[in-house]
Amino acid sequence: MASSLHSNNTQICPNPTALNGGSAADGNSQISKKPRLYADPPPLFIPSDIISEFSHHDPAVARINNGSFGCCPSSVLSAQNQLQLQWLRQPDDFYFNQLQPKIIQSRTIIKDIINADHVDEVSIVDNATTAAAIVLQQIAWGFAEGKFCRGDAAVMLHYAYGAVKKSVEAYVTRAGGYVIEVPLPFPVSSVDGIVKEFRQALRRGKQNGRKVRLAVIDHVTSMPTVVIPVKELVTICREEGVDQVFVDAAHGIGCVDVDMKQIGADFYTSNLHKWFFCPPSVAFLYCKKSTNNSDLHHPVVSHEYGNGLAIESAWIGTRDYSSYLVVPKVLEFINRFEGGIEGIKKRNHEYVVEMGQMLVKAWGTRLGCPPEMCSSMVMVGLPACFGISSDHDALELRTCLRDKFGVEVPIYYRPPKDGEEGGVVTGYARISYQVYNKVEDYYKFRDAINQLVDNAFTCASLPIS
Amino acid sequence: MQHDDPRNGESTHRSSKKPKISSQFITESDIRDEFSHHHPRVARINNGSFGSCPGSVLAAQRHWQLQFLRQPDAFYFNSLRDGITASRKIIKDLINADHVDEVSLVDNATTAAAIVLQRIGRSFAEGKFQKNDTVLMLHCAYEAVKKSIQAYVTRAGGSVIEVRLPFPVNSEEEIISELKKSIDEGKSNGRRIRLAIIDHITSMPSVVIPLKELVRICRAEGIEQVFVDAAHAIGSVKVDVKEVGADFYVSNLHKWFFCPPSVAFLYCNKSTTSSDLHHPVVSHEYGNGLPIESSWTGTRDYSSQLVVPAVLEFVNRFEGGIEGIMKRNHDQVVKMGKMLVESWGTNLGSPPEMSAAMIMVGLPSRLCLNSEKDALKLRSHLRDCYEVEVPIFHQVPKDGEEGVRDKDGFITGYVRISHQVYNTLEDYEKLRDAINQLVEDGKTCKMLFKE
Repeated sequence: MASSLHSNNTQICPNPTALNGGSAADGNSQISKKPRLYADPPPLFIPSDIISEFSHHDPAVARINNGSFGCCPSSVLSAQNQLQLQWLRQPDDFYFNQLQPKIIQSRTIIKDIINADHVDEVSIVDNATTAAAIVLQQIAWGFAEGKFCRGDAAVMLHYAYGAVKKSVEAYVTRAGGYVIEVPLPFPVSSVDGIVKEFRQALRRGKQNGRKVRLAVIDHVTSMPTVVIPVKELVTICREEGVDQVFVDAAHGIGCVDVDMKQIGADFYTSNLHKWFFCPPSVAFLYCKKSTNNSDLHHPVVSHEYGNGLAIESAWIGTRDYSSYLVVPKVLEFINRFEGGIEGIKKRNHEYVVEMGQMLVKAWGTRLGCPPEMCSSMVMVGLPACFGISSDHDALELRTCLRDKFGVEVPIYYRPPKDGEEGGVVTGYARISYQVYNKVEDYYKFRDAINQLVDNAFTCASLPIS
Repeated sequence: MQHDDPRNGESTHRSSKKPKISSQFITESDIRDEFSHHHPRVARINNGSFGSCPGSVLAAQRHWQLQFLRQPDAFYFNSLRDGITASRKIIKDLINADHVDEVSLVDNATTAAAIVLQRIGRSFAEGKFQKNDTVLMLHCAYEAVKKSIQAYVTRAGGSVIEVRLPFPVNSEEEIISELKKSIDEGKSNGRRIRLAIIDHITSMPSVVIPLKELVRICRAEGIEQVFVDAAHAIGSVKVDVKEVGADFYVSNLHKWFFCPPSVAFLYCNKSTTSSDLHHPVVSHEYGNGLPIESSWTGTRDYSSQLVVPAVLEFVNRFEGGIEGIMKRNHDQVVKMGKMLVESWGTNLGSPPEMSAAMIMVGLPSRLCLNSEKDALKLRSHLRDCYEVEVPIFHQVPKDGEEGVRDKDGFITGYVRISHQVYNTLEDYEKLRDAINQLVEDGKTCKMLFKE
């Protein structure tokens, strides 16, 4: 088995004659555009390989919710287990000699993938929730230390993730900041509506001589899911004099194009365990090198405090850091797909749109956004006859689908707006597509909903818990 | 017997109901199996730094991990919260807390320190505390805690007092008297001492602190709150939070309580601490109380928090359960310490009754250990050339003090040896012989190669 990139024992290829032909069973070993890790790259995956890589998933479940908790192939889990065992075997040696070099290796790979300038700009943290706390904590200090005036504003999207909203409450509102939420239309028909609302929100933020200190923008919103035109919004922020822009791209890497220089934000975070095949949990936080953000700290303070965020984040006390260290192995896994991560993204997007359209046709409903505004997830309207009329209804329906039909899919309640007629779609399922999914998963979902319709199911008939 | 001991956990726990007969106790060969994943040739006498976890608990952990990977949504909605609550209940009983609400599970003591100190920082920022209100800590407090004080207290305008720990230490009175001196100093100029951070067992150098007495003094002197950093405590000394009487008490479970990396509990006395304690990583659970906030800090692998029941099963396979383990570890580490002292002609850093499962042993002065760098070099050398893992402490001689001598000079270096159930006599003999070899070869720290 080939070992890590920079190990002194890297097995390039013990058999020189293999250099000429690749493996006999496979004719396509040279397609990947990524730099080769081996003289003789391993063959591309065939479908049975993929089934085997995800054989630890519950076979009875139509798992169409990759967006919530992601997934991790067994070859990466094995690699993680090896790292865990290395630590357990001799932790002091691992701490002094292995841990930091391996974290730098992961950071370097990420830096290249996201087109950052310096590896210093890339810190590895547990998840986007942690990254949000890091960025928002420095805003709190800004207020506490008088750099900002009481009432200076932070702007975020109405559909910002629940944890991020709470983090803004904990670190901004509590410290004296004024928070503005950008309302977004949903269902959404084009990016124009989003851009317009955003500009208006920034103008509100600047009223009465206030400064907008931070804009928090999702790259791909969670519920309901929509791809936000971040590049355009970041440009608007610069035009309107926003101090700092933080892009919450929890669903970013492996799902949409992630190019730091192109997007131009000050901070950008993405989970690697959602769409980038890492085990739970690991994320990166990109911080553009500038004088504006030298005051970033991990909230869990260790002896590395003051040595820069990337170094602070690489040691926050005794922990299992193995999920941070498997990134090289994940790259190997990804490069066994045709087109690497680009190929995976493209196919996931195409299939999820195809499946979404199949479902709306079967149910007579609609998608929550045009195909070009979705990534590898899309919102699919549920039959209006269900009468979904609260978040509670949505959760109960989700539970019913899990327990009675073996379908795992999150459901979003979309309150009707004033003036909307009866029969409007108030519930949307967020379907995901990842490499392990198959068309049967979506048929199972289609049929479950159709059966509920046939049984005249309504949310009003659900037990009150 | 252990089934009478209320600290053995809930009665739902099958193994705690059966009276153990001696043939059911774990054997030496069982223990070797349980720790067969440790490097077989390394004399691993540093359980204090990173702890250890037996194979059966690792297996339980893998089982939890696979459950999540198999169907994460179902796990999140149906299993996770209950699993964490079950662990918290066991801990509550072990530490004699009143309510399970008082017990939060976090990653490690470093995280707990951030939680407590972040609140202090907010109190300064929000004008509840005045500039120069003070936090008191031990001079040898763990470096992460010192930095956390810098990040959250000093930065917010607070001041800090350090209590000097005499070392080598000869009696508890020495520590008590230093604390009293520092408190007087702290209260001079009308400053209020808002928080005292006291170690239960210091890290480097390692000494068991007379905690109950120190907390009593802090209360008597009007110190507002006391936070006990007991990273090493659970599984190495008795932990009774009501008896200790502190407001906050944290201990790592992965050091001496056989949990995998990493998990710690933070106890917060319900009657004396406010609900305004928050985990710094804010999730949708913000405002639901620290235990709930800590049970969900975003998508993570929570398996180390879930294996506490499996750990209890493991511990109860030993004669006397965790108490038996603690006693034997203490007796052995003292015995081994004395063996080394006799061989090297040096000293112990504290009297045996001020040690638990770790003890400081003086290194021969001929090694000329004169700096932190020397200590690290020696440690690396022992690891790389002798396959001995042991942390080394450099003792800075105090101005005007003579210091302890051996036959050749002043003793300026100490090893911190640990004893855990997997250790054998050979481990310590290996260390003994390695040091003797170095001395015999006329080596000093400066001469050692950095591998």
